[in-house]
This record gives sequence, structure tokens and C-alpha cells, in this order.
Amino acid sequence: MALPLPLGLTHSEVAFVAEMELVTVVPRQRLESIDLLSGKTPPLRPPHRADLPLWLALLLKKQRRANIVPPPWLYPASLADIVHRETKVHPHAFSEPMPTASRARQSQPGYAGRIGGGDSSEVILSPPFRSNCTSAAPAGYLPYHWLEVAEALITHASDDLGGNTSEIRGLLRDLVEVRAAKMRDSAETLGAEGQGGVVSLRGVGAMELAENRGFVLGVVDGVRKIGGAVETARREKEEEMDLGGGDGGRGGYGGDGDSDDDMGI
Amino acid sequence: MDIDDILREVDPTFHAVPQEKRNLQELTRAWIAERSAPELLPWPADGLFERVNDSIKRQIEKVEEMTGDMDPKTNFALIVIQTELERFKYLVRSYVRARISKIDRHTLHYLSTDALRARLSEMELAYATRHQALLHNHYLSSFLSSFPSALQNLNDSAGINMVETPDLESAVFIRLLKDTLVEGRGVDSDGAMDGRESDIVILRWADAKTLVENGSAELV
Repeated sequence: MALPLPLGLTHSEVAFVAEMELVTVVPRQRLESIDLLSGKTPPLRPPHRADLPLWLALLLKKQRRANIVPPPWLYPASLADIVHRETKVHPHAFSEPMPTASRARQSQPGYAGRIGGGDSSEVILSPPFRSNCTSAAPAGYLPYHWLEVAEALITHASDDLGGNTSEIRGLLRDLVEVRAAKMRDSAETLGAEGQGGVVSLRGVGAMELAENRGFVLGVVDGVRKIGGAVETARREKEEEMDLGGGDGGRGGYGGDGDSDDDMGI
Repeated sequence: MDIDDILREVDPTFHAVPQEKRNLQELTRAWIAERSAPELLPWPADGLFERVNDSIKRQIEKVEEMTGDMDPKTNFALIVIQTELERFKYLVRSYVRARISKIDRHTLHYLSTDALRARLSEMELAYATRHQALLHNHYLSSFLSSFPSALQNLNDSAGINMVETPDLESAVFIRLLKDTLVEGRGVDSDGAMDGRESDIVILRWADAKTLVENGSAELV
């Protein structure tokens, strides 16, 4: 009954989520709009392009009812550019995530605002609902689900990738390797001093997170448990120093009240 | 489709997400959050699950009707509809199961205060109360009854508290949905970071909670 899986999405769950990404297809047959739970699909009229969720696009592809248009970031030129940036320009950080699309503001003509920029009560979209894998997505950035989408397209729609599957595959492998090394290096900063318990991994991908979740969270939680006594002592000291009472006392780890070693300060 | 629909489709200022699509987005987000958070999150108050369950039921009825006619053209539509139906059912099932596993692990904790009870849905509350009563009766009849009556409770809080609680300090990954200040507590120092939109940040759940609750961030 109860789910036996550990916390955090597993690989197959991440792949499931990635299948919700919209991709662009060129239909080869007419198909009327289908009334799905997530809304009506656009009616397919060859040769007009349409955006469909990846799972449906793959189904159509397998039945030879449509061809998939690869997203611009999956072209060899774009991938090579990202590899260059990841290795040469920013050898210690992940490349920037895909920028949020902007749109003209109705309330202030002449100004543009990011979609979901917080100027209204609209829903803020996040991957996989951001159209980061359609043919309209920008090149030169990796979307959150880059590895899963690329893998699915190479496996099931290799003939739509312009015949250079092996080149794309090689570039993707380079990316996986260089980024995995960065992920491992990030372990050094995870427990390091001065981080203050907040570590940013801007630009990381979903599959990379799933792969390293156990390790990264294990390191962070391990450091916290080892340093539990130190932290309690530090909080007590801080509380003594500003008697006004900030938020110093929030960490409740069965504090033993032993602060003898702080008395010299 | 009339001219209004066509105009709406090409109008960049019109961006209202249809209700069906929003259901899927909210369901996905609720599921991912529940799968990642170390403690039980509140049951969605806006009737999301009632909406989703109703639409799943309607869709099943439609599938039953459509299976009647054997027209090969509707046949493919049927396959698509059924595939999507399975995906929805998987999401709902996995969400509910993730919650049950958390409730099972810390039943007494989630039943201990009204604020915590309010996180459970009606069904979950009934399940948790009855399951706990069954379990306690079983323990009583098998071995607890031979203990002195003062030692027969399962929620003794004198001395070390017997009720296990989830570890709210364990680390989680969040994605920032807005530019916002992220504050966290660490072992050697407490820190703050000017977070930018789409940053993926590791921090303790107790620190991330407010950001997630006010919609500035989501669990990933």
C-alpha cells in the first residue's frame, strides 16, 4: 500500500515527468483533436506543426503518424557551444538554465516582463510545463529535463535528428561527464565553512539531481549531524551575545545546555 | 473553432492556462513536493483531488462508451486517451501512496495536534485513527496488557518523547520561482543568498518551508 520508495524522485519518475515536456511535431496524417484530461490536443493537419507532450509525440512517432522536430538546443552546434562553455568559460559552474520567456506587459505599454514575473496572480510555470523543448525554445541553453528528452529523441526518433545522431550522442556524453565532475566537486562546498547552509546548483538538470540526490543530501545531513553539538553551542553563544533574541534558538537538537567552553569570549 | 478561438491562439497577451491543464500542473507539483518533502504536506484545500478524480471518472466512462464502436479511426484516439488516463491514475496513486507511507511512519505525531491533523484529508484521518487503534489493541492483547498500566501508553512524553517525529532539518532541493532572498542555517554559520529565479538550492527543509509555502519556491 504505502510507497516503499525513498524521498526524492527516482530515475523512472524523473523520466515520467520529462515525458510531459512539450515537443513540436510535423504530422504526416490528419488527426482530429482528442479530448484529453489535460485539455484538448491541437488538431493535426499536415504539414502544420503542433506542440504535443513528449509521450504523445513518441506514440505518434512509433506509429509513423508524425515526425518530431528536435529542439534547437539539441543541434550539434548548440551542444558544442554548451560543451565549450562548460569546459572553458565556466569550468566550475553549470551553464545557465534556459531563460524565462518574456512578454509585452498589457498594463504598462512599452515594458516587457518575464512570464510569471510576479506582476499578477498568474500561475508561475516551471519545467516540464515551460515549452523548453519545442522548436521555439532558444538554442545554447540546456533545459531542466535535457538529458531525458535528448535520450528519448535519440532512441525513438533518431531519423528526425538530421542523420548526425552519433555526433549528438558524443557531445551529450561529453556534457554528462563534465557536469558529473562538477556535481562531485560541489561536495567540497557542501560542508565547507561560510556557506551558511545554502548552496546553489544553478543550471543543474533533473536527472543529475536524481542521480546525486542520495549522495548530496547524505553529505549535507551528515555534516549537520556531526556538527550538531558545535551548532547548538554556537547558537547559544549568539543568543547570549544579542539578548534581544533573534532567531538563534530555532535549531532544537536536544540541546544539552553545555556552553562552558564559550565562557572565555 | 470560430474566429475568436483562432485570434486567441495567436494573441501573445492572452495566456490564461485552461483549467484542465492547470489541474495537471498542480497535480504534478503536489506529487513532486510530496515525494521530496521530509514531512507530510497539507492536503490541497482547493479541491484539486476532487476535481481530478471526477474528471478521471468521466474519462473512464467515455472510454467504456468508445470501446463499443470499432471504427479504426476512433480506435487510435482511444489508445491515446487510455494512455493519458493511465498517466493520471499513476500520478494520483503515487501521490496518495507517498502520503500513506509518511502517515504510517509517524502516525501518532500527525494525530497529536489539531494543526497537524488538519493536514490530513478526511479519508486519511479516518485511516490513521483506525489503523492506530487497531495496532494499539493488538499490542495490548499480545503483550502490553502484562505491563503495569502506567506503561501501557504508546505516546509517553515524560523523559524522552516516545512519539517519533520526522526530521524537519534534513536537506532538500528547491527551485526558486522568483528572485528572492534565501536564508539558511548551517553548522559553522548562518547564511543568506540573493536567489535568482530558476536557481536550484540545497538547504534545510525547516528553512525552505516558508519559501515553499508562500510560493517563491517549489520542491524538486
